[in-house]
Amino acid sequence: MSDPTATQDLIKGADEPAASPVAVRNGQRGLWSDTWDILKRRKIFWISLVMLIVFLLMAAFPSLFTHKDPEYATLAKSMELPSADAWFGYDLQGRDVYARAVYGARTSIIVGVLATLATVILGGLTGVLAAYFGRWLDAVISRVGEMFLGLPYVLGAIIILGTVAPAQSNPGKATIMAVVIIVLALLGWPILMRIARSAVIQAKHQDYVQAARALGAGPLRIIFKHLLPNSLAPILVYSTITIGSYIGAEATLSLLGIGLRSPVISWGIAIADHASYIRTAPHAMFFPAGFLSLCVLTFVMLGEAVRDALDPKLR
Amino acid sequence: MGRYAIRRLLQLVPVVLGTTFIINYMVWQLPGDPFAGRCGQRPCPDAYVTAMREQFGLDQPLLVQYGNFLKNLVTGNLGVDFNSVSVASLLGDAWPITIRLALMAVIFEAVIGIGAGVLSGLKRGGFIDNVVTISTLFLLSLPIFVTGYLLQWLLGVQLGIITPTVTDEATVPELIVPALVLASLNMAFTARLTRTSIVENLRSDYVRTAVAKGLSNRRVVAIHLLRNSLIPVLTFLGTEVGSLMSGAIITEGIFNIHGIGGLLWRAILDQDYTVVVPVATLLVLVYLLANLLVDLLYGVLDPRIRYE
Repeated sequence: MSDPTATQDLIKGADEPAASPVAVRNGQRGLWSDTWDILKRRKIFWISLVMLIVFLLMAAFPSLFTHKDPEYATLAKSMELPSADAWFGYDLQGRDVYARAVYGARTSIIVGVLATLATVILGGLTGVLAAYFGRWLDAVISRVGEMFLGLPYVLGAIIILGTVAPAQSNPGKATIMAVVIIVLALLGWPILMRIARSAVIQAKHQDYVQAARALGAGPLRIIFKHLLPNSLAPILVYSTITIGSYIGAEATLSLLGIGLRSPVISWGIAIADHASYIRTAPHAMFFPAGFLSLCVLTFVMLGEAVRDALDPKLR
Repeated sequence: MGRYAIRRLLQLVPVVLGTTFIINYMVWQLPGDPFAGRCGQRPCPDAYVTAMREQFGLDQPLLVQYGNFLKNLVTGNLGVDFNSVSVASLLGDAWPITIRLALMAVIFEAVIGIGAGVLSGLKRGGFIDNVVTISTLFLLSLPIFVTGYLLQWLLGVQLGIITPTVTDEATVPELIVPALVLASLNMAFTARLTRTSIVENLRSDYVRTAVAKGLSNRRVVAIHLLRNSLIPVLTFLGTEVGSLMSGAIITEGIFNIHGIGGLLWRAILDQDYTVVVPVATLLVLVYLLANLLVDLLYGVLDPRIRYE
């Protein structure tokens, strides 16, 4: 699975942009218009954007892509190989593999996006607070973060999910999705906390912050008006890549039987259900696995394109 | 250096305490009956539950339980599982296999990852560079279990080159493909990290000086460039040794390897928490110690880094 602790090295393991630095033009230019200028010349950005739109459409309106019902099962067709009638064949229960792969996009993307959002809020907030107020608050937040980082990702998720929602139990659809999202965020926030913390520490001593403080701005105003917008770039890059790795992580947990479970339709569950039929019906497993990998690839590519454009070191 | 090592060790103490406490708390205290389903189809009689709670000390206050756990851990008493098999002997059987698997994975990461990274970094924008960039992008997007099942199906079921599952002995040749799978993600990271590091150092003054002195290309790359570029890569590989052990849970599951990951996995499925807690604790300890070791090695590898 994609290990988010390793993804932080992705940010460091930067690729140089293929395009040369943007020519200086007259007029005011901000970080974001510069970024856009670089982004729109990059092929990888457009490819990942198109893929992203396809996946988002699939998540929002699955019926655009298939007219078949993902729940409709014909046991007689169990594990039938791909044919003109069903391009991806039928799964163990005789359901259309393609339809289930299409409908699976929604769960995976919701979990990936919401878990990332929760991570950003939790990690960003604690990071900004730790950096801004420093002293004991910084020490406490940093130590607690280290404790959670001390739990290797898969292990931590297994321990929490294995006790909250053991493999044999059958929690409701919304409950289990919420639990998985919380677990992913709980184990992922320290990395984002560190990113936000170091960004804010760097920005804290800049003149514009000093000026704002001299003008009498309170901590809230300084944090939200000045520090946060200027720390946004590294957070944005990390979270784009994180969406991808969380989608992979969700599938991994579902595969282990402690993440999402039927009747939720998800790529991870489809892969888990057919892992033991790999000899007789590989298609029932590899098509959802392909969708999953493409979706992760989309977010990883997008994150890399954005990082290349945002990283001032590479300009 | 000595003082720094001691300070780092002291800093580790609250982290170890906190992490082990989280594990203990999560496993034993969260809602859900740890003894549910231990008596077959029918609910457990109260007498059994009371006896079990007493045997595993669950009737005591939380902090006392945690204190006992720490005492047992320090004295090396890992207890018995629900079937009264000693956890230490379970670990003794599984440990060597996982260590073998993780070591092989690290070797693959180092050899293939660094090799690919150096080749692509030296000829930036060349054919090899493009191949490495694209293939690492794909490796990064393939969750480990997808790579695992794919190779198992392709090499094991379709082509018959390997046996799809590993036997109890888990010999080195059998573990080659599982180790490759386990290494796949980090291999991509290693390659990218090496490439960036090489590209950065190629522009540095000392490399320019070495070239200007008239040293041969081979000497510049091998003695000057590589040594300096590999420092961050070695750090990365070191920290990953610890997480590979727990990352092995999935790989060991796919290839049916009877290592630590498999042990932990079966314990979780059976809800045998008496195994989960010590195994998870040991994995966390290995992970934290590996990180500490790498931190200390950093100063040895790179004399420019001084610990105050």
